[in-house]
Amino acid sequence: MPRPVASVLALLVLVAAVALGLSIGDQHVLTLATQSMILAALATSWNILGGFAGQISLGHSAFFGLGALLTRELWLGGRALPVAIAVAAVVTAVAACVVGIPMLRLRDIYFAIGTLALGVAVFITAGNLWPGISSLPAEMLRSYDFTGPYLFALAVLVVTLLASIWLAQSKLGLGMMAVREDEEAAKATGVNTFAYKLAAFVISAALAALAGSAFALFSVSYYPNFAFSVIWTFEAVLVAFIGGIGTLFGPLLGSIFFIVGRDLMPTNVDEFQVVFFGLLFVVVVLVFPGGLSQAAGRLLGRRAAKARTTGDRATAARGRS
Amino acid sequence: MLEVEGLEVAYGDLQVVWGVSFEVHRDSIVAILGPNGAGKTTTLLSLMGLLPRKAGSVRFEGEDLSGLPTHEIVGRGMVMIPEERAAFQTLTVAENLELGAYSLREKEAFGEALGEVFEIFPRLAERRKQAAGTLSGGERQMLAIGKALMARPRLLILDEPSLGLAPIVVEDIFGVIRRIRDRGVSVLMVEQHVEMALEVADYAYILETGSIVARGTGPELEADVRVQEAYLSL
Amino acid sequence: MSQLVAQSIVSGILLGGIYGLVALGLALAFGVLNVLNVAHGELLMLGGYLAFFAFTRWGLDPFVSLPLVFIVMFGVGILLYLGLFRFVTKAEIHTRIKNSLLVSFGLALALQALAVRFFTADERTISTAYSSEAFTLGSIRIPIVRLAGLVVAVIAALVLEWILSRTRFGKALRATSEDWTRAALTGIDVRRVYQIAFAISAALAAIAGSMVSLGYSVSPSIGLGWTLKALIVVVLAGLGSMRGIVLAGIALGLVESLASVWIGGQYREVAALVLFLIVLSFRPHGFFGRAHA
Repeated sequence: MPRPVASVLALLVLVAAVALGLSIGDQHVLTLATQSMILAALATSWNILGGFAGQISLGHSAFFGLGALLTRELWLGGRALPVAIAVAAVVTAVAACVVGIPMLRLRDIYFAIGTLALGVAVFITAGNLWPGISSLPAEMLRSYDFTGPYLFALAVLVVTLLASIWLAQSKLGLGMMAVREDEEAAKATGVNTFAYKLAAFVISAALAALAGSAFALFSVSYYPNFAFSVIWTFEAVLVAFIGGIGTLFGPLLGSIFFIVGRDLMPTNVDEFQVVFFGLLFVVVVLVFPGGLSQAAGRLLGRRAAKARTTGDRATAARGRS
Repeated sequence: MLEVEGLEVAYGDLQVVWGVSFEVHRDSIVAILGPNGAGKTTTLLSLMGLLPRKAGSVRFEGEDLSGLPTHEIVGRGMVMIPEERAAFQTLTVAENLELGAYSLREKEAFGEALGEVFEIFPRLAERRKQAAGTLSGGERQMLAIGKALMARPRLLILDEPSLGLAPIVVEDIFGVIRRIRDRGVSVLMVEQHVEMALEVADYAYILETGSIVARGTGPELEADVRVQEAYLSL
Repeated sequence: MSQLVAQSIVSGILLGGIYGLVALGLALAFGVLNVLNVAHGELLMLGGYLAFFAFTRWGLDPFVSLPLVFIVMFGVGILLYLGLFRFVTKAEIHTRIKNSLLVSFGLALALQALAVRFFTADERTISTAYSSEAFTLGSIRIPIVRLAGLVVAVIAALVLEWILSRTRFGKALRATSEDWTRAALTGIDVRRVYQIAFAISAALAAIAGSMVSLGYSVSPSIGLGWTLKALIVVVLAGLGSMRGIVLAGIALGLVESLASVWIGGQYREVAALVLFLIVLSFRPHGFFGRAHA
């Protein structure tokens, strides 16, 4: 599809989404849509680190949670909303930089384990430090309407997708993909692999913080440590894999599939839903690494846009002689 | 004893072995020779069930080996010594030999087999408590062969037995291979060292880019001009 | 030395014993199968619940039910291997580790969700007649139910070491963990080795869970936390020695306790994380272990 046509189409979709948000009064639909967009944004941000740069992080929830926490505290503490959001994003980016430097020295599974450890440690610590529930004050509750959070979540999703698209075509993004395909080879050709990994880490963390802000604005009352829960990491990773890891719109596809699927499921029991999606995840990882994007691409008769497995082919090619 | 027909092996889309057929008769030493990357190791791994076959049949003593897991192939008497470091580095010589007999059904045979191995390789007896990783290159190769012999094979398959060894040691190893054949164990070996292999082999095949391009007895191949030009330094 | 610090040290050692016990199973699965089972903590949780219900429904003392827990969860381990991890082991090692990480991550959350459904989210603790008894060393209390965890850990490590060095199967395990291809060529049924090693790993997690539900508490969400501890211990100790793993577990427990005293209990986890990162940066193969590919 030629670029100008695609851009116009995207713009139309965006306008439609905004209009929909402003016109629909049904709070349930708005809630569902907002949740999808928050998850899609989180998954897309994870995809930058995991899909483009090939660094599978299992601690993404730490940044989502931090963004949510800071936004919430500042906003309910009286600061202007834009300030709260900006501070949250910046502080998270800095934190990601600080944490990323030691973390990114770890390779492969050790990185995954290290980030998982980070995610869990932060979750438990947050629960220790902020045990009380965070609720919107009464005056806000009275007139609470989900249109605002919907529009903000939409904005965050758009920003994240744009960042993703821009990265995919930029030198920065190409550098990340070079690291993903074969880090040793990239290093050998003089690429500063660490810098690219760190860039991916920080960018994805900042975007995750934005998604966290959207969550903070959207939630009426919740326990602060919930935003740090590993569930968020799992859902983001799940959705990114289902939709097609490494692709541009895979995570978005995946989240729509997930949230809608979850809502339509015959069983209301949350737990069985988790089991179902867990199983689906297993199937995707083992059988269909390209996810929905791969399947959709096959159906439409062309290869999915930049579908990639996470460096498996490079490894396989390297191992055989 | 071993009949391979039309063997084809591929790694995903990359086909490496194209319709290879060869035989190993009882009490003989057969060599498969050829340059690096010809598909020799791939062929062996496929025989042992470690790589799936795209096509072709493998019959050992009349029995079709398709679909059998590796350990069962070993149990039927076909044992392969892979290239380099075939012994377990973190285990002692004695433990390695013990494991070699893992597939033996009768426990009494263990003592006998151990005795035979120590007879062929007295140096292993001396070093039985040492960790395999501390042995010299030649000793490790001996251990690898000894370990394989513990399984009482009827066909011993060797992948590049001379690799990484000094010429004197290689002569020793080939001498051992002859002794093994004389004791009634057939040998199939893959080798890059064409000269030495042709001296010891009863029959040989030359494998290039996945297909057999020449076959014959040792003297026949030595006399073949193409072989001389390509592989022998004549 | 103040009484607080001394008590902290003791508590840390006792908790560390359980860290070591949990890590033994994880190390076994990772060392032999090259599979990283992130759901290991959930298996601990299930073992803990099993012991808890065996106690409340049938009156079985947790030490008496230990063999039962072991056997049942051994069976569960076999099922999990046959139903799930078997497919992961089809790939070569590098992919295997990555896939097992992802797959078991999903499994962990699924098991956690199921536990919430069937057991409710409440914390459970086994309260026996001797639950509040303790040895006293001066002014330091050593609760029996927590000492038990350390004792079981040490026994398990010794038993495992014996199996690995003296039995035929144990040698096959070591051979397979060194190189499964060579093990297969030696006539070892690698699939069977994998199956049993994984099942033992699950059973070890379960008996750790038993001790946790006796000396501490279990609830559906504790899994990941324990898995992380086990992972940290395995990284600290490396894969070569069972004894080393228990020692590393104790060390971790100690570090956490002391950190708690100095920077506050709320930051325990951070202390463990920092220790983990430091060790990984400087000694990627752990303190005791041999290099693992």
